Amino acid sequence: MKKAGYVVLILILLAFLAKACIHADIPETTSKPEINNSSVENINYPAPQKNVTIDGIDYLQSQAPVGKFGGTLVASTIGEGPKTFNPFNSKDNISSQLSEIMYDGLLTTNAVTGEPIPKLAKDFTVDGDTYLIHLRKGIKWSDGKPITADDVVFTWQNIVFDGFGNTSIRDSIVIDGKLPTVRKIDDYTVEFKTPQPFAPFIRMLSNPIAPKHVFEPAVKKGKAYFDTFLSTNANPKTFVTSGAFRLKEYVPAQRVVFERNPNYYIINTKDEKLPYLDKLVYLIVGDINNEVLKFEGGELDVIGLQGANVARFKELEKHSDFKIYNLGPNTGTMFISFNLNNRKDKDGKFYVDIKKQRWFQDKNFRQAVDYAIDRKNMVMNIANGLGAPLYTAESLNSIFLNENLPAYERNIEKSKELLKKSGYNWSKKGHLLDKYGNHVEFDLYTNAGNTEREAIGVMVKQDLEDLGMKVNFKPIEFNSLVNKLVNSLDWDMVIMGLTGSPLEPNGGKNVWMSNGTLHMFNQRPADYTQDDRYPWEKRIDYLYTQGALATDFESRKKFYDEYQAIAYEEKPFVYIYSPLIISAIRTKFRNVYPTSLGGIMYNIEEIYLDNGQKGKGS
Amino acid sequence: MQILIYILKRILQSIPLLIIVSIISFFIIRLSPVDPLAELRLNPSVSQETLQKETERLGLDKPIIVQYGKWAASFVKGDLGITSNGERVSAKLKERIPNTLLLTTIVIALTWLVGIPLGVAAALNWKTPFDRILTILTSIGMAIPSFFFAVLLLIFAVKTGWFPIGGLTSSNFLEMTFPQQVWDITHHLILPVTVLFTLSLAGLQRQMRANLLDVLDSDYVKFARAKGLSEFDVVYKHALRNAINPMITLLGFEFAGLLSGAALTEYVFQYPGLGRLILEAVLKSDINLVMASLMMGAIMLILGNLIADILLIITDPRIRVKA
Repeated sequence: MKKAGYVVLILILLAFLAKACIHADIPETTSKPEINNSSVENINYPAPQKNVTIDGIDYLQSQAPVGKFGGTLVASTIGEGPKTFNPFNSKDNISSQLSEIMYDGLLTTNAVTGEPIPKLAKDFTVDGDTYLIHLRKGIKWSDGKPITADDVVFTWQNIVFDGFGNTSIRDSIVIDGKLPTVRKIDDYTVEFKTPQPFAPFIRMLSNPIAPKHVFEPAVKKGKAYFDTFLSTNANPKTFVTSGAFRLKEYVPAQRVVFERNPNYYIINTKDEKLPYLDKLVYLIVGDINNEVLKFEGGELDVIGLQGANVARFKELEKHSDFKIYNLGPNTGTMFISFNLNNRKDKDGKFYVDIKKQRWFQDKNFRQAVDYAIDRKNMVMNIANGLGAPLYTAESLNSIFLNENLPAYERNIEKSKELLKKSGYNWSKKGHLLDKYGNHVEFDLYTNAGNTEREAIGVMVKQDLEDLGMKVNFKPIEFNSLVNKLVNSLDWDMVIMGLTGSPLEPNGGKNVWMSNGTLHMFNQRPADYTQDDRYPWEKRIDYLYTQGALATDFESRKKFYDEYQAIAYEEKPFVYIYSPLIISAIRTKFRNVYPTSLGGIMYNIEEIYLDNGQKGKGS
Repeated sequence: MQILIYILKRILQSIPLLIIVSIISFFIIRLSPVDPLAELRLNPSVSQETLQKETERLGLDKPIIVQYGKWAASFVKGDLGITSNGERVSAKLKERIPNTLLLTTIVIALTWLVGIPLGVAAALNWKTPFDRILTILTSIGMAIPSFFFAVLLLIFAVKTGWFPIGGLTSSNFLEMTFPQQVWDITHHLILPVTVLFTLSLAGLQRQMRANLLDVLDSDYVKFARAKGLSEFDVVYKHALRNAINPMITLLGFEFAGLLSGAALTEYVFQYPGLGRLILEAVLKSDINLVMASLMMGAIMLILGNLIADILLIITDPRIRVKA
């Protein structure tokens, strides 16, 4: 009797289990979030900040509504936190982001229009290769010492030009082996001269300026010492900063706490010194899921949202204390690339099989692939509708975007026509054959573990199979993939993404110039001298060189428009889509004016807390 | 004296073991296709010169044997080297070890203080409802996967707002008074401790119960009872001392787990311990940091076993004679 009871009990349990399984197999039907109504396009931005001089001190005056002082804003960073607080030594995003809070540059970017505007500098003039910078008189470092031309000259000459710390900036402004020069004219005037006109230099001037009296001793001790200077173990009290905040406390793997810099030079319209907030806290969070939980639990005030979370938070938003902003497409580009390499390796073997070379080097083939890709479908199904189809080499929020290049729908008929033009035909079973009768079959790589790219790969495979191509989709480990792209060069097609700058296309020269280190679709070995460029590669080389030499925006845009048109026509990269940036911030914070270029916290000195209490999570 | 020689012997024996562990670990990490510079390579704004400098700084341009030799030489000197970001490995570890120790010692102390008496009680009340209920409870404890349990508790914290969502201290920790700080840390510790406690309690309680039951069934206990000793003396003087020996071996393993046992739970609760640090180091192939943590794990295990063996010598005269 007892045994029978147990049997019944187990059967019931199994029945429940089975029921649970059946239920889980039915996909949930979620509606796509209506995110467009929270776009940043209908925000009324305050007038730009302007210079005012009070008692001989050149302040920068915020034109945003006057707010209340006090309070804390809690933001977060994903990962293991900053690696260094030395702004000249940071190689990762988090370290640079945090040092940007502490150190201002001479110039900054207008977050709405994208043009360079003065920050530490009072004003500036550009005349071909000469940049004349006037500094603000009477403004101070957080320890009370004045900020002068000596600090600027020291920063550029003794740190950047002399190659201390991370030398990426230095490497990117070497023109024909020559560096720009910097010269102090008087205590508040500095002149930069580039060896020849070089437009991207203006953006470099937003690089932070270091306090000479703090950094000079470190520089004198040599490069090895400089690499450890202002490390995460340094005492926060020794930090002398020019930004809105200074470091108060760093707790490894937990948080970075900033407090307001009492000597900051931005004031409000009542002439009170900003920032409004007393403290700015960055929690160091290990992964996205934990970040979302912390925001839901009220420990975080700002968060970037992705994928399915957007729909969920959009639902919560109605009866909650936060607002979601759609900041538009991000600066990244995601694309399929073909390997156009026609060279042989050291053993005399082709990097790419000769029959595959004929396919990939054929423009009609590349365009056929392009027309076969269903971008809209991918945006809806992979990005949860939170993306924008991409057709151009510059990202959608770039100020250099060529808007004359039209978007188009998937068009299988056009693909087939293009393939027929190049002599392709189809076997009875529907396989695509080239004009020599070879089956069109190739490998498509991406990095395993990136679920987004893996999903794109599956859909690309399906889309191309409609053309009769056989695609072997192979997600492989990230490092192996990079090795294939950069060293061994033995790949056919790849799904990759790169980050770009929405302000400066010249950052892409490593990708687009034919001798670039990331010219992945036709990567040449480092010491390659032979000129075997395709005519359009040659043209892009010319356009990139000229684009950097021209200085005014209009003439630069012409060069970059043409390069985008060539990329659009030749399709070495088939662009797919750009994800949208979605951020949420609690409504108790005011003066929030998010922009596509600046994000949500670019005007951190103007943001204030409205409920008069301390922030949550404290 | 004998014990000292024994200890010395054991230490000498562990040296080849450590060498083998280090060689295997080093080569597995270096031969895996993880390239510490892959991220930099795919960043369009990083120049070739920077990449070259990084390769040289990390010693990646040299053969693996040379890299290992360099690492081993400085390890023997007590220098753990620098992480791929240029920070000292020893400093990095020093930041995290106290936090992990705080968590694991609390958990171990709690489980032993609760688990042993519960195990004894269950054995003494064998087959009574008390024993049965304990068995069911510990079965549940053993059956829940720690990761899942931790996530559940985290969601519980979000929904109720009763507990902080991970971490160790609140953001205004510096401004608190001392009692507030103690409470703040306790408040943060409750959930992770609950997870680890539930998990290890079950095993310990069952082990203790089984050991004591074994001993209670043996002839000498029957003899002691027949001799007319009080039940208290039988159990606590004779049976328990014999039943505790396997537990001491277990304690040795617990010692090894002091630094590494909580990694998964630490990760879920975003606890600033070694777990997160080492996970990231492994993902980035930060060789010095990974090696330091692996060696630390190996040394802790050897040390734990050594301590357990010494304790056994002290508690069990039979082993003393053999040694």
